[in-house]
Amino acid sequence: MAADFKTAQPVEYYRQFLKKDVRPDGRELGEIRSTIVNIGSISTAEGSALVKLGNTTVICGIKAELCTPTNDEPKKGFVVPNVDLPPLCSPRFRPGPPSEQAQVVSQFIADVLKDSKMVNHEDLCIAEGKIVWVLYCDMMCLDYDGNVIDACIISLLAALRNVALPSIEVDEETAKPKLTSSTSSTMTVQSLPVSTSFAIFDNSILIADPTNEEENLATGVVTVVTNECGELCALHKPGGSSLSESQIQECVKRSFSRGDEIRKLLDETFNSLDR
Amino acid sequence: MAGIELLSDQGFRADGRRPHELRKIRCRMGVFRQADGSAYIEQGNTKVLATVYGPHEITGGRSKALHDKVLLNCQYSMATFSTGERKTRPKGDRRSQEMSMNLRRTFQAAILTHLYPRSQIDIYVQVLQSDGGNYCACVNAATLAVIDAGIPMRDYVCACTSSLLEDTPVVDISYLEESVGSPEMVVALLPKSEQIVLFQQNSRLHVDNLEKVLDMGIKGCTDVYGILDQSVREHVTEVSNLMMST
Repeated sequence: MAADFKTAQPVEYYRQFLKKDVRPDGRELGEIRSTIVNIGSISTAEGSALVKLGNTTVICGIKAELCTPTNDEPKKGFVVPNVDLPPLCSPRFRPGPPSEQAQVVSQFIADVLKDSKMVNHEDLCIAEGKIVWVLYCDMMCLDYDGNVIDACIISLLAALRNVALPSIEVDEETAKPKLTSSTSSTMTVQSLPVSTSFAIFDNSILIADPTNEEENLATGVVTVVTNECGELCALHKPGGSSLSESQIQECVKRSFSRGDEIRKLLDETFNSLDR
Repeated sequence: MAGIELLSDQGFRADGRRPHELRKIRCRMGVFRQADGSAYIEQGNTKVLATVYGPHEITGGRSKALHDKVLLNCQYSMATFSTGERKTRPKGDRRSQEMSMNLRRTFQAAILTHLYPRSQIDIYVQVLQSDGGNYCACVNAATLAVIDAGIPMRDYVCACTSSLLEDTPVVDISYLEESVGSPEMVVALLPKSEQIVLFQQNSRLHVDNLEKVLDMGIKGCTDVYGILDQSVREHVTEVSNLMMST
Protein backbone atom coordinates (compact mmCIF):
# COMPACT_ATOMS: atom_id res chain seq x y z
CA MET A 1 0.00 0.00 0.00
CA ALA A 2 2.67 2.45 1.08
CA ALA A 3 4.73 1.53 -1.97
CA ASP A 4 1.80 2.29 -4.30
CA PHE A 5 1.18 5.62 -2.63
CA LYS A 6 4.87 6.46 -2.97
CA THR A 7 4.91 5.68 -6.69
CA ALA A 8 1.68 7.51 -7.44
CA GLN A 9 2.25 10.61 -5.34
CA PRO A 10 5.87 10.84 -4.25
CA VAL A 11 5.66 14.47 -3.12
CA GLU A 12 2.55 13.90 -1.00
CA TYR A 13 4.22 10.80 0.43
CA TYR A 14 7.17 12.87 1.59
CA ARG A 15 4.91 15.61 2.95
CA GLN A 16 3.17 13.13 5.24
CA PHE A 17 6.52 12.18 6.73
CA LEU A 18 7.93 15.70 6.94
CA LYS A 19 4.81 16.86 8.81
CA LYS A 20 6.01 14.67 11.65
CA ASP A 21 9.61 15.96 11.31
CA VAL A 22 10.95 12.65 10.11
CA ARG A 23 12.05 11.28 6.72
CA PRO A 24 10.99 7.99 5.10
CA ASP A 25 14.39 6.44 5.88
CA GLY A 26 13.95 7.25 9.57
CA ARG A 27 16.28 10.22 9.72
CA GLU A 28 15.47 13.56 11.29
CA LEU A 29 15.53 16.59 9.01
CA GLY A 30 19.05 17.68 9.95
CA GLU A 31 20.48 14.18 10.28
CA ILE A 32 23.27 13.04 7.99
CA ARG A 33 23.73 9.46 6.88
CA SER A 34 26.53 7.41 8.45
CA THR A 35 29.90 8.09 6.88
CA ILE A 36 32.62 5.51 6.35
CA VAL A 37 36.16 6.32 5.21
CA ASN A 38 38.74 3.83 3.98
CA ILE A 39 42.23 5.11 3.19
CA GLY A 40 44.95 3.75 0.94
CA SER A 41 42.77 1.11 -0.71
CA ILE A 42 44.41 1.48 -4.15
CA SER A 43 48.10 0.67 -4.10
CA THR A 44 48.81 1.79 -7.68
CA ALA A 45 47.83 5.38 -6.76
CA GLU A 46 50.02 7.77 -4.79
CA GLY A 47 47.06 8.47 -2.53
CA SER A 48 43.56 7.06 -2.39
CA ALA A 49 40.41 6.98 -0.31
CA LEU A 50 37.01 5.38 -0.48
CA VAL A 51 34.10 7.21 1.11
CA LYS A 52 30.61 5.91 1.77
CA LEU A 53 27.89 8.33 2.71
CA GLY A 54 24.94 6.06 3.30
CA ASN A 55 24.74 4.26 -0.02
CA THR A 56 26.59 6.90 -2.00
CA THR A 57 30.10 5.62 -2.68
CA VAL A 58 32.97 7.65 -4.10
CA ILE A 59 36.54 6.53 -4.66
CA CYS A 60 39.32 9.06 -5.12
CA GLY A 61 42.71 8.10 -6.51
CA ILE A 62 45.57 10.53 -6.89
CA LYS A 63 48.35 9.99 -9.42
CA ALA A 64 51.42 12.21 -9.38
CA GLU A 65 53.34 13.14 -12.53
CA LEU A 66 56.20 15.46 -13.35
CA CYS A 67 55.76 18.49 -15.58
CA THR A 68 57.21 21.91 -16.26
CA PRO A 69 55.66 24.88 -14.44
CA THR A 70 54.27 27.95 -16.18
CA ASN A 71 56.51 30.96 -16.72
CA ASP A 72 54.31 33.15 -14.55
CA GLU A 73 54.53 30.90 -11.52
CA PRO A 74 57.77 28.91 -11.80
CA LYS A 75 57.54 27.60 -8.23
CA LYS A 76 54.01 26.29 -8.28
CA GLY A 77 52.84 22.77 -8.99
CA PHE A 78 49.37 21.78 -10.11
CA VAL A 79 46.42 19.97 -8.64
CA VAL A 80 43.86 18.82 -11.19
CA PRO A 81 40.60 17.48 -9.78
CA ASN A 82 38.14 15.59 -11.94
CA VAL A 83 34.82 14.00 -11.06
CA ASP A 84 33.51 11.07 -13.05
CA LEU A 85 29.90 9.94 -12.85
CA PRO A 86 30.05 6.77 -14.97
CA PRO A 87 26.93 4.87 -16.12
CA LEU A 88 28.05 2.18 -13.68
CA CYS A 89 26.90 4.19 -10.65
CA SER A 90 23.29 4.88 -11.57
CA PRO A 91 20.83 4.18 -14.39
CA ARG A 92 20.37 7.95 -14.83
CA PHE A 93 23.80 8.36 -16.42
CA ARG A 94 24.32 7.28 -20.01
CA PRO A 95 27.56 6.11 -21.59
CA GLY A 96 29.34 8.84 -23.49
CA PRO A 97 31.08 12.12 -22.75
CA PRO A 98 30.97 13.49 -19.15
CA SER A 99 27.48 14.58 -18.18
CA GLU A 100 26.60 18.18 -17.37
CA GLN A 101 26.34 17.31 -13.70
CA ALA A 102 29.80 15.71 -13.64
CA GLN A 103 31.33 18.83 -15.18
CA VAL A 104 29.54 21.16 -12.75
CA VAL A 105 30.71 19.11 -9.75
CA SER A 106 34.27 19.00 -11.13
CA GLN A 107 34.35 22.76 -11.51
CA PHE A 108 32.86 23.32 -8.07
CA ILE A 109 35.51 21.11 -6.48
CA ALA A 110 38.27 22.83 -8.46
CA ASP A 111 37.01 26.16 -7.09
CA VAL A 112 36.86 24.87 -3.51
CA LEU A 113 40.36 23.47 -3.87
CA LYS A 114 41.70 26.78 -5.09
CA ASP A 115 39.78 29.09 -2.75
CA SER A 116 40.31 27.13 0.45
CA LYS A 117 44.07 26.77 -0.28
CA MET A 118 44.03 23.10 0.68
CA VAL A 119 47.42 22.47 -0.89
CA ASN A 120 50.35 24.83 -0.88
CA HIS A 121 51.29 24.66 -4.54
CA GLU A 122 54.88 25.60 -3.72
CA ASP A 123 55.22 22.31 -1.82
CA LEU A 124 54.91 20.60 -5.18
CA CYS A 125 58.00 22.31 -6.58
CA ILE A 126 61.05 20.13 -7.27
CA ALA A 127 63.29 22.55 -9.19
CA GLU A 128 62.16 26.11 -9.69
CA GLY A 129 61.15 26.82 -13.26
CA LYS A 130 62.08 23.30 -14.36
CA ILE A 131 60.11 20.52 -12.76
CA VAL A 132 57.07 20.44 -10.53
CA TRP A 133 54.56 17.82 -9.46
CA VAL A 134 51.12 17.66 -10.96
CA LEU A 135 48.56 15.76 -8.89
CA TYR A 136 45.69 14.29 -10.86
CA CYS A 137 42.85 13.73 -8.41
CA ASP A 138 40.24 11.51 -10.02
CA MET A 139 37.05 11.01 -8.07
CA MET A 140 34.77 8.32 -9.36
CA CYS A 141 31.28 7.69 -8.11
CA LEU A 142 30.62 3.97 -7.74
CA ASP A 143 27.11 4.12 -6.34
CA TYR A 144 24.96 7.22 -6.73
CA ASP A 145 22.43 7.85 -3.99
CA GLY A 146 22.42 11.62 -3.79
CA ASN A 147 24.74 14.25 -2.33
CA VAL A 148 27.73 13.33 -4.43
CA ILE A 149 29.48 16.69 -3.77
CA ASP A 150 29.91 16.03 -0.05
CA ALA A 151 31.20 12.52 -0.66
CA CYS A 152 33.63 13.78 -3.32
CA ILE A 153 35.08 16.49 -1.10
CA ILE A 154 35.57 14.12 1.84
CA SER A 155 37.25 11.56 -0.44
CA LEU A 156 39.50 14.23 -1.96
CA LEU A 157 40.49 15.47 1.47
CA ALA A 158 41.26 11.97 2.74
CA ALA A 159 43.17 11.01 -0.43
CA LEU A 160 45.26 14.20 -0.37
CA ARG A 161 46.26 13.52 3.22
CA ASN A 162 47.22 10.01 2.14
CA VAL A 163 49.49 11.13 -0.73
CA ALA A 164 53.09 9.96 -0.45
CA LEU A 165 55.46 11.45 -3.02
CA PRO A 166 58.88 9.95 -3.76
CA SER A 167 61.76 12.36 -3.19
CA ILE A 168 63.21 13.58 -6.45
CA GLU A 169 66.13 15.84 -7.33
CA VAL A 170 67.35 17.27 -10.59
CA ASP A 171 70.71 15.99 -11.74
CA GLU A 172 73.04 18.98 -12.28
CA GLU A 173 74.83 17.55 -15.30
CA THR A 174 72.11 15.84 -17.28
CA ALA A 175 69.29 18.17 -16.09
CA LYS A 176 67.12 15.11 -15.70
CA PRO A 177 65.09 14.18 -12.63
CA LYS A 178 66.34 11.28 -10.53
CA LEU A 179 65.11 9.45 -7.49
CA THR A 180 67.18 10.41 -4.45
CA SER A 181 65.85 7.88 -1.98
CA SER A 182 63.14 5.30 -1.94
CA THR A 183 61.47 6.86 1.09
CA SER A 184 58.49 8.95 0.25
CA SER A 185 57.25 12.01 2.04
CA THR A 186 53.64 12.63 2.94
CA MET A 187 52.06 15.85 1.89
CA THR A 188 50.76 18.46 4.29
CA VAL A 189 47.22 19.58 3.67
CA GLN A 190 46.95 23.16 4.87
CA SER A 191 43.23 23.55 5.18
CA LEU A 192 40.51 20.98 5.71
CA PRO A 193 37.30 22.09 4.01
CA VAL A 194 34.19 19.96 4.46
CA SER A 195 30.96 20.54 2.61
CA THR A 196 27.41 19.97 3.74
CA SER A 197 24.52 19.93 1.29
CA PHE A 198 20.87 20.60 1.96
CA ALA A 199 17.82 20.13 -0.18
CA ILE A 200 14.88 22.50 -0.04
CA PHE A 201 11.55 20.72 0.01
CA ASP A 202 8.28 22.48 -0.82
CA ASN A 203 10.09 25.84 -0.99
CA SER A 204 10.50 25.98 2.77
CA ILE A 205 11.71 22.84 4.54
CA LEU A 206 15.47 22.23 4.70
CA ILE A 207 16.70 18.66 4.78
CA ALA A 208 20.38 17.80 5.23
CA ASP A 209 22.26 15.24 3.12
CA PRO A 210 19.53 14.44 0.56
CA THR A 211 19.30 10.99 -1.02
CA ASN A 212 18.81 10.52 -4.74
CA GLU A 213 15.03 10.41 -4.26
CA GLU A 214 15.00 13.57 -2.19
CA GLU A 215 17.21 15.38 -4.71
CA ASN A 216 14.75 14.55 -7.46
CA LEU A 217 11.80 15.95 -5.48
CA ALA A 218 13.64 18.97 -4.11
CA THR A 219 12.87 22.48 -5.28
CA GLY A 220 16.44 23.65 -4.66
CA VAL A 221 19.78 22.74 -3.13
CA VAL A 222 22.36 24.56 -1.01
CA THR A 223 25.96 23.52 -0.42
CA VAL A 224 28.03 25.12 2.32
CA VAL A 225 31.77 24.50 2.61
CA THR A 226 33.53 25.37 5.84
CA ASN A 227 37.04 24.80 7.16
CA GLU A 228 38.60 24.08 10.54
CA CYS A 229 39.32 27.77 11.35
CA GLY A 230 35.64 28.66 11.37
CA GLU A 231 35.85 30.20 7.90
CA LEU A 232 33.31 29.85 5.14
CA CYS A 233 35.06 28.56 1.98
CA ALA A 234 32.14 28.39 -0.41
CA LEU A 235 28.39 28.74 -0.44
CA HIS A 236 26.70 27.42 -3.52
CA LYS A 237 23.00 27.88 -4.12
CA PRO A 238 22.26 27.39 -7.79
CA GLY A 239 18.84 29.01 -8.14
CA GLY A 240 15.77 27.06 -7.12
CA SER A 241 13.41 28.22 -4.43
CA SER A 242 14.45 31.19 -2.35
CA LEU A 243 15.58 31.05 1.25
CA SER A 244 15.48 33.59 4.05
CA GLU A 245 18.67 34.85 5.65
CA SER A 246 17.96 32.97 8.87
CA GLN A 247 17.62 29.72 6.95
CA ILE A 248 21.00 30.29 5.31
CA GLN A 249 22.46 30.99 8.75
CA GLU A 250 21.00 27.73 9.97
CA CYS A 251 22.69 25.85 7.10
CA VAL A 252 26.02 27.49 7.87
CA LYS A 253 25.72 26.58 11.54
CA ARG A 254 24.91 22.96 10.73
CA SER A 255 27.79 22.86 8.27
CA PHE A 256 30.30 23.89 10.96
CA SER A 257 29.21 21.13 13.32
CA ARG A 258 29.26 18.61 10.44
CA GLY A 259 32.76 19.79 9.44
CA ASP A 260 34.07 19.14 12.95
CA GLU A 261 32.55 15.65 12.93
CA ILE A 262 34.20 14.77 9.62
CA ARG A 263 37.60 16.18 10.58
CA LYS A 264 37.42 14.13 13.79
CA LEU A 265 36.49 11.03 11.79
CA LEU A 266 39.42 11.57 9.42
CA ASP A 267 41.86 12.12 12.30
CA GLU A 268 40.68 8.91 13.92
CA THR A 269 41.04 7.00 10.66
CA PHE A 270 44.56 8.27 10.06
CA ASN A 271 45.57 7.55 13.66
CA SER A 272 44.31 3.99 13.42
CA LEU A 273 46.36 3.60 10.23
CA ASP A 274 49.61 4.76 11.84
CA ARG A 275 49.32 2.34 14.70
CA MET B 1 68.70 -14.20 -17.55
CA ALA B 2 69.27 -10.74 -16.16
CA GLY B 3 66.91 -9.16 -13.71
CA ILE B 4 64.17 -11.09 -12.00
CA GLU B 5 64.02 -14.84 -11.83
CA LEU B 6 60.51 -15.80 -12.90
CA LEU B 7 60.79 -19.42 -11.89
CA SER B 8 63.22 -20.47 -9.20
CA ASP B 9 65.12 -23.79 -9.18
CA GLN B 10 62.74 -25.03 -6.52
CA GLY B 11 59.83 -24.35 -8.89
CA PHE B 12 58.47 -21.23 -7.23
CA ARG B 13 57.37 -18.14 -9.12
CA ALA B 14 58.46 -14.54 -8.46
CA ASP B 15 55.59 -13.96 -6.03
CA GLY B 16 56.12 -17.27 -4.25
CA ARG B 17 53.34 -19.22 -5.93
CA ARG B 18 53.65 -22.70 -7.41
CA PRO B 19 53.02 -23.01 -11.17
CA HIS B 20 49.44 -24.27 -10.80
CA GLU B 21 48.49 -21.91 -8.00
CA LEU B 22 45.96 -19.10 -8.45
CA ARG B 23 46.33 -15.75 -6.72
CA LYS B 24 44.08 -15.21 -3.73
CA ILE B 25 40.54 -14.48 -4.87
CA ARG B 26 38.23 -12.47 -2.68
CA CYS B 27 34.79 -11.59 -3.91
CA ARG B 28 31.54 -10.08 -2.77
CA MET B 29 28.16 -9.89 -4.43
CA GLY B 30 25.48 -7.27 -4.04
CA VAL B 31 27.78 -4.44 -3.05
CA PHE B 32 25.66 -1.56 -4.41
CA ARG B 33 22.05 -0.52 -4.08
CA GLN B 34 21.48 1.41 -7.31
CA ALA B 35 22.38 -1.41 -9.65
CA ASP B 36 20.24 -4.48 -10.31
CA GLY B 37 23.29 -6.64 -9.78
CA SER B 38 26.80 -5.83 -8.61
CA ALA B 39 29.95 -7.61 -7.59
CA TYR B 40 33.48 -6.83 -6.52
CA ILE B 41 36.41 -9.18 -7.03
CA GLU B 42 40.05 -9.10 -6.03
CA GLN B 43 42.45 -11.49 -7.73
CA GLY B 44 45.72 -10.81 -6.02
CA ASN B 45 46.28 -7.10 -6.59
CA THR B 46 43.83 -6.82 -9.47
CA LYS B 47 40.62 -5.22 -8.24
CA VAL B 48 37.52 -5.08 -10.40
CA LEU B 49 33.98 -3.87 -9.90
CA ALA B 50 31.06 -4.96 -12.08
CA THR B 51 27.49 -3.71 -12.17
CA VAL B 52 24.56 -4.96 -14.20
CA TYR B 53 21.43 -3.04 -15.12
CA GLY B 54 18.51 -4.73 -16.71
CA PRO B 55 16.79 -6.30 -18.44
CA HIS B 56 15.16 -2.97 -19.23
CA GLU B 57 13.74 -1.05 -22.17
CA ILE B 58 16.11 -0.15 -24.96
CA THR B 59 17.73 3.20 -24.26
CA GLY B 60 18.55 5.70 -26.97
CA GLY B 61 16.85 4.59 -30.15
CA ARG B 62 14.37 1.79 -30.53
CA SER B 63 16.02 0.80 -33.80
CA LYS B 64 18.76 -0.98 -31.88
CA ALA B 65 16.26 -3.48 -30.47
CA LEU B 66 16.62 -7.09 -31.55
CA HIS B 67 13.37 -8.91 -32.16
CA ASP B 68 14.52 -12.33 -31.07
CA LYS B 69 17.03 -11.70 -28.29
CA VAL B 70 18.26 -9.22 -25.73
CA LEU B 71 20.65 -6.42 -26.64
CA LEU B 72 23.78 -6.79 -24.56
CA ASN B 73 25.67 -3.61 -23.85
CA CYS B 74 29.09 -3.99 -22.22
CA GLN B 75 31.52 -1.33 -21.22
CA TYR B 76 35.03 -1.95 -19.94
CA SER B 77 36.90 0.90 -18.38
CA MET B 78 40.08 1.27 -16.39
CA ALA B 79 40.35 3.93 -13.70
CA THR B 80 43.02 6.56 -14.39
CA PHE B 81 44.73 5.56 -11.15
CA SER B 82 44.60 1.81 -11.76
CA THR B 83 47.99 1.44 -13.42
CA GLY B 84 51.56 2.49 -12.65
CA GLU B 85 51.44 5.18 -15.31
CA ARG B 86 48.34 7.36 -15.23
CA LYS B 87 45.88 6.39 -17.92
CA THR B 88 44.84 9.40 -19.95
CA ARG B 89 41.81 7.71 -21.48
CA PRO B 90 39.96 5.54 -18.99
CA LYS B 91 37.58 4.24 -21.64
CA GLY B 92 36.98 4.42 -25.34
CA ASP B 93 40.55 3.72 -26.44
CA ARG B 94 41.20 0.81 -28.73
CA ARG B 95 42.21 -1.59 -25.99
CA SER B 96 39.07 -0.98 -23.93
CA GLN B 97 36.88 -1.19 -27.02
CA GLU B 98 38.36 -4.59 -27.75
CA MET B 99 37.82 -5.68 -24.15
CA SER B 100 34.20 -4.44 -24.26
CA MET B 101 33.57 -6.39 -27.43
CA ASN B 102 35.13 -9.57 -26.04
CA LEU B 103 33.06 -9.22 -22.93
CA ARG B 104 29.87 -8.81 -24.95
CA ARG B 105 30.60 -11.88 -27.01
CA THR B 106 31.53 -13.93 -23.98
CA PHE B 107 28.29 -13.12 -22.22
CA GLN B 108 26.19 -13.54 -25.31
CA ALA B 109 27.26 -17.16 -25.21
CA ALA B 110 26.35 -17.59 -21.57
CA ILE B 111 23.23 -15.52 -20.93
CA LEU B 112 19.92 -16.99 -22.13
CA THR B 113 19.46 -14.08 -24.52
CA HIS B 114 16.30 -15.39 -26.18
CA LEU B 115 14.30 -14.88 -22.96
CA TYR B 116 14.25 -11.10 -23.25
CA PRO B 117 13.53 -10.03 -26.82
CA ARG B 118 13.43 -6.27 -27.52
CA SER B 119 15.12 -5.53 -24.18
CA GLN B 120 18.56 -4.49 -23.07
CA ILE B 121 21.04 -5.60 -20.43
CA ASP B 122 23.96 -3.36 -19.47
CA ILE B 123 27.14 -4.79 -18.02
CA TYR B 124 29.65 -2.23 -16.80
CA VAL B 125 33.04 -3.29 -15.50
CA GLN B 126 35.52 -0.98 -13.90
CA VAL B 127 39.13 -1.90 -13.18
CA LEU B 128 40.15 -0.09 -10.00
CA GLN B 129 43.62 -1.52 -9.69
CA SER B 130 45.40 -3.54 -12.31
CA ASP B 131 48.02 -6.25 -11.83
CA GLY B 132 47.62 -8.58 -14.79
CA GLY B 133 44.68 -10.74 -15.77
CA ASN B 134 42.33 -7.76 -16.06
CA TYR B 135 40.06 -9.39 -18.58
CA CYS B 136 39.71 -12.55 -16.51
CA ALA B 137 38.89 -10.63 -13.35
CA CYS B 138 36.32 -8.65 -15.34
CA VAL B 139 34.63 -11.79 -16.67
CA ASN B 140 34.54 -13.35 -13.21
CA ALA B 141 33.17 -10.17 -11.63
CA ALA B 142 30.57 -9.77 -14.38
CA THR B 143 29.45 -13.39 -13.90
CA LEU B 144 28.81 -12.72 -10.22
CA ALA B 145 27.01 -9.47 -11.02
CA VAL B 146 24.78 -11.16 -13.60
CA ILE B 147 23.92 -13.87 -11.07
CA ASP B 148 23.22 -11.18 -8.48
CA ALA B 149 20.85 -9.49 -10.94
CA GLY B 150 18.99 -12.77 -11.28
CA ILE B 151 19.49 -13.05 -15.04
CA PRO B 152 19.37 -16.69 -16.17
CA MET B 153 22.59 -18.08 -17.63
CA ARG B 154 23.51 -21.42 -19.15
CA ASP B 155 26.37 -21.72 -16.73
CA TYR B 156 28.91 -19.60 -14.91
CA VAL B 157 31.58 -18.08 -17.13
CA CYS B 158 35.00 -18.41 -15.55
CA ALA B 159 38.13 -16.98 -17.07
CA CYS B 160 41.77 -17.53 -16.32
CA THR B 161 45.13 -16.79 -17.92
CA SER B 162 47.96 -19.21 -18.40
CA SER B 163 51.46 -18.98 -19.76
CA LEU B 164 54.66 -20.88 -20.33
CA LEU B 165 57.68 -19.92 -18.25
CA GLU B 166 60.88 -21.82 -18.95
CA ASP B 167 58.96 -24.81 -20.33
CA THR B 168 56.67 -24.97 -17.32
CA PRO B 169 53.01 -24.10 -17.82
CA VAL B 170 51.84 -21.58 -15.20
CA VAL B 171 48.40 -20.31 -14.33
CA ASP B 172 46.93 -16.85 -13.52
CA ILE B 173 49.92 -14.73 -14.48
CA SER B 174 50.62 -11.39 -12.80
CA TYR B 175 51.58 -8.13 -14.47
CA LEU B 176 55.26 -8.90 -13.93
CA GLU B 177 54.98 -12.22 -15.72
CA GLU B 178 52.81 -10.64 -18.43
CA SER B 179 55.29 -7.86 -19.16
CA VAL B 180 58.38 -10.00 -19.82
CA GLY B 181 56.91 -11.11 -23.11
CA SER B 182 56.00 -14.67 -22.28
CA PRO B 183 53.01 -16.03 -24.20
CA GLU B 184 49.69 -15.15 -22.59
CA MET B 185 46.67 -17.32 -23.06
CA VAL B 186 43.22 -16.21 -21.97
CA VAL B 187 40.52 -18.85 -21.65
CA ALA B 188 36.89 -18.25 -20.70
CA LEU B 189 35.09 -21.46 -19.92
CA LEU B 190 31.58 -22.72 -19.17
CA PRO B 191 32.84 -25.09 -16.47
CA LYS B 192 29.99 -27.65 -16.30
CA SER B 193 30.10 -28.50 -19.98
CA GLU B 194 33.80 -27.61 -20.31
CA GLN B 195 33.00 -25.52 -23.38
CA ILE B 196 35.42 -22.76 -24.28
CA VAL B 197 33.65 -19.48 -25.08
CA LEU B 198 36.69 -17.26 -25.49
CA PHE B 199 40.22 -18.19 -26.30
CA GLN B 200 42.91 -15.66 -26.99
CA GLN B 201 46.63 -16.03 -27.27
CA ASN B 202 49.32 -13.39 -27.65
CA SER B 203 53.00 -13.71 -28.38
CA ARG B 204 54.55 -16.92 -29.74
CA LEU B 205 54.01 -20.40 -28.44
CA HIS B 206 55.19 -23.64 -30.00
CA VAL B 207 52.28 -25.77 -31.08
CA ASP B 208 53.62 -28.76 -29.12
CA ASN B 209 53.15 -26.73 -25.93
CA LEU B 210 49.61 -25.64 -26.76
CA GLU B 211 47.93 -28.59 -25.13
CA LYS B 212 49.65 -28.39 -21.78
CA VAL B 213 49.26 -24.61 -21.51
CA LEU B 214 45.59 -24.86 -22.48
CA ASP B 215 45.07 -27.66 -19.96
CA MET B 216 46.60 -25.45 -17.31
CA GLY B 217 44.24 -22.61 -18.28
CA ILE B 218 41.20 -24.87 -18.16
CA LYS B 219 42.28 -26.20 -14.78
CA GLY B 220 42.61 -22.61 -13.59
CA CYS B 221 39.08 -21.84 -14.79
CA THR B 222 37.68 -24.85 -12.96
CA ASP B 223 39.45 -23.73 -9.78
CA VAL B 224 38.00 -20.24 -10.22
CA TYR B 225 34.57 -21.82 -10.68
CA GLY B 226 34.87 -23.58 -7.34
CA ILE B 227 35.62 -20.30 -5.58
CA LEU B 228 32.87 -18.33 -7.36
CA ASP B 229 30.30 -21.06 -6.75
CA GLN B 230 31.14 -21.19 -3.07
CA SER B 231 30.81 -17.43 -2.71
CA VAL B 232 27.46 -17.42 -4.54
CA ARG B 233 26.16 -20.14 -2.23
CA GLU B 234 27.37 -18.27 0.85
CA HIS B 235 25.77 -15.06 -0.40
CA VAL B 236 22.44 -16.71 -1.12
CA THR B 237 22.39 -18.42 2.30
CA GLU B 238 23.15 -15.10 3.96
CA VAL B 239 20.40 -13.29 2.06
CA SER B 240 17.81 -16.00 2.66
CA ASN B 241 18.64 -16.05 6.38
CA LEU B 242 18.12 -12.30 6.48
CA MET B 243 14.79 -12.64 4.72
CA MET B 244 13.74 -15.41 7.05
CA SER B 245 14.51 -13.36 10.16
CA THR B 246 12.47 -10.36 9.09
